[in-house]
Amino acid sequence: MRAATAAPLDDAAERYRPYMIAGIGDALAGARALRERAAENDLAGAKKAWISARAGWERSEVFTAGFVPELDARIDAWPNAVSGFHAIEAKLFGAGRTDVESDAAALIEHLDSLHGKLRDMPLTPQGLLDGTVRLAYEVGESKADGGESRISGTSLDDMRNNVAGIDFAYRTIFADALKAADAGLADTVAGRIGQLKASVAAPDLPHVNIRTLRRASEELVVALQAASAKLGLPRPTLEAQSR
Amino acid sequence: MIVRRARIAVLGLGLLLAGSSGRVAAFPVDGDQTALPSKTELNEDALDKPREVFRSEFAGGKSYLINLGNLAFSSPSILGEVARQAGVSCGTCHVNGAGNAKFFMPKMSTRPGNFDTTGPLFNPKANNFVLDPVRIPSLRGARYLAPYGVDGRMPSLRDFVHNVIVNEFAGPEPSPVILDAVVAYLQDIDFLPNQSLGRGGRLTGKISEAERRGEALFAKPFPHDPNMSCAGCHIPSGGFVDHQQHDVGSGGLFKTPTLRNADFNAPYFHDGRFDSYDQVVGHFDRAFDLGLSAQDRRDLVAYLTAVGDGTLPYEHDGAGASLKEIDDFASVLATAIPAGDKDVVALAVDTIGQELRELTERYPDRKNTSVSGGEVERSRARMALKEVVLTLRRIDMAVAEGRINDASADYKTYRYLMAAAVPALLASAEPWSLFNPAVHDQHYGALRQVMQSKHTSR
Repeated sequence: MRAATAAPLDDAAERYRPYMIAGIGDALAGARALRERAAENDLAGAKKAWISARAGWERSEVFTAGFVPELDARIDAWPNAVSGFHAIEAKLFGAGRTDVESDAAALIEHLDSLHGKLRDMPLTPQGLLDGTVRLAYEVGESKADGGESRISGTSLDDMRNNVAGIDFAYRTIFADALKAADAGLADTVAGRIGQLKASVAAPDLPHVNIRTLRRASEELVVALQAASAKLGLPRPTLEAQSR
Repeated sequence: MIVRRARIAVLGLGLLLAGSSGRVAAFPVDGDQTALPSKTELNEDALDKPREVFRSEFAGGKSYLINLGNLAFSSPSILGEVARQAGVSCGTCHVNGAGNAKFFMPKMSTRPGNFDTTGPLFNPKANNFVLDPVRIPSLRGARYLAPYGVDGRMPSLRDFVHNVIVNEFAGPEPSPVILDAVVAYLQDIDFLPNQSLGRGGRLTGKISEAERRGEALFAKPFPHDPNMSCAGCHIPSGGFVDHQQHDVGSGGLFKTPTLRNADFNAPYFHDGRFDSYDQVVGHFDRAFDLGLSAQDRRDLVAYLTAVGDGTLPYEHDGAGASLKEIDDFASVLATAIPAGDKDVVALAVDTIGQELRELTERYPDRKNTSVSGGEVERSRARMALKEVVLTLRRIDMAVAEGRINDASADYKTYRYLMAAAVPALLASAEPWSLFNPAVHDQHYGALRQVMQSKHTSR
């Protein structure tokens, strides 16, 4: 076995770019639809659009916290954000109001700004591995209190989209190189991602086996930490600002 | 008495602060996707936690069995599926072995501080279809307080613990060692010391006149039955209990509760119907036609307050307190790893890991709008705690695969991290953590406000 060189990973990281653009593109389209629905006082339509926008965003969390931390903090701020997803969530799903014009405009502006950066944003395998690891750890957090999107009741959707993002990033960028370097470890990583998928396939949040989910999340992170050495990359960090 | 006055002063200050800042004491579980009923109040974010005193701390330190019992007591995984999913453990209701006066669970409680052990939520098979909650008792001094249960139906603490795990909370049959451990832990929790109580349970030291008069009234035979007195059941020389059940006009036979540390055990009576000693004394006055004057009642309350006191009943919940408890829990690994005890290692890793994950959330990440500043410190604290969680997970994986040497090496790393590096990083981030009352109030106040907007809109 040998450590993989970084160059093929750089190429592999480029293969992730279209997925990233598509995810934020979906979030942006959803946010625009949300503004339109809300302007017509269509609460149900605005909620649906919010959920759609949210899905694109959550799929993209592998890279958002690490590559665009400022925008990430604005777009996903909580608990009492003045703009961003959760501010709009509180109005639409909490208070049942559609007066979200300024919030939606700010969200669109931020997502648009992010979308515009994606084509030329330098992507590093290290940054994407860091993001994958952080998100894998985060998915294992207890949602016993209702989770991040508790007002809309869509925390499980967040988790499913997070896992989809992890799965795609791993398969697209790292899987082939890891298989070449250590096939057994690659199997372990794939197995743990499979366990995460199975856990979040539960019909609703109260039926997600929290213990199994947490174990799979942590075992995946441990496996990816081991994988980093095999891939010739420094050990991934667990917090976005820490490298 | 000096101690008690100091406590009252502190409580008074707390109330003043609550009034002036709109202190949010707790945040309920909420949302439509939780295992517990919406608006459940677990009071888990309280900044002051009951202080726990262990007998064995004065006798050379806690044993493996006591630490294992404390660990199991704090672990949802020894209970049934609903409790596990909700993150509810024995310690949720009995915080640090005391009670939880703010605990409230719709469908299972009729007021804060009580809980229906035969309700529909945790074990439908045990559901008696009557909402008949009992107050959540403090477990301090449990070894003196047999029989067990509010009705005193169980002479054995071990049987009682078994019943709670298996029947009330639908847990799997516990192993004998886990049962022994929980019992050992409970029997190790002492009453808080009370300098006002002397030999034979008599008040001692600098006693007020009201307390002295109350003590005499407490021992005085009832006017209509000279064989009865308060002290006849709450025997001062016997921990203020008689180990018997009585009908005191509250709807059945219930065992005599201790009065020791009872200042911190409200609400009172088997169902928690009374908030104060004054209400309790009023009930006995009516039920037994005692003919108490207003002064008598005040004197009895003064006496009960003196008897029920305890030194430093609460401690601030900071990183230090959490790490101390985690350290006790983790000590079982020193025995369980070399023994290759997969079950205990898994229990420890799951329980401590969850505690560490919860501790991590006390250091908000940069998306949290309720705190600004200290981003680097918060990030380092979070990262350190996550590293510890993963170190523990590696231990669990290694023991499960029979790699004892690897597990021992990781345990060494764990001890090293937790000895100095992690406490230092947490301390440096503390001003921007939820352990800071200002940040705590802003964070939970914001959450509560958002949730309230939801409830008021429906």
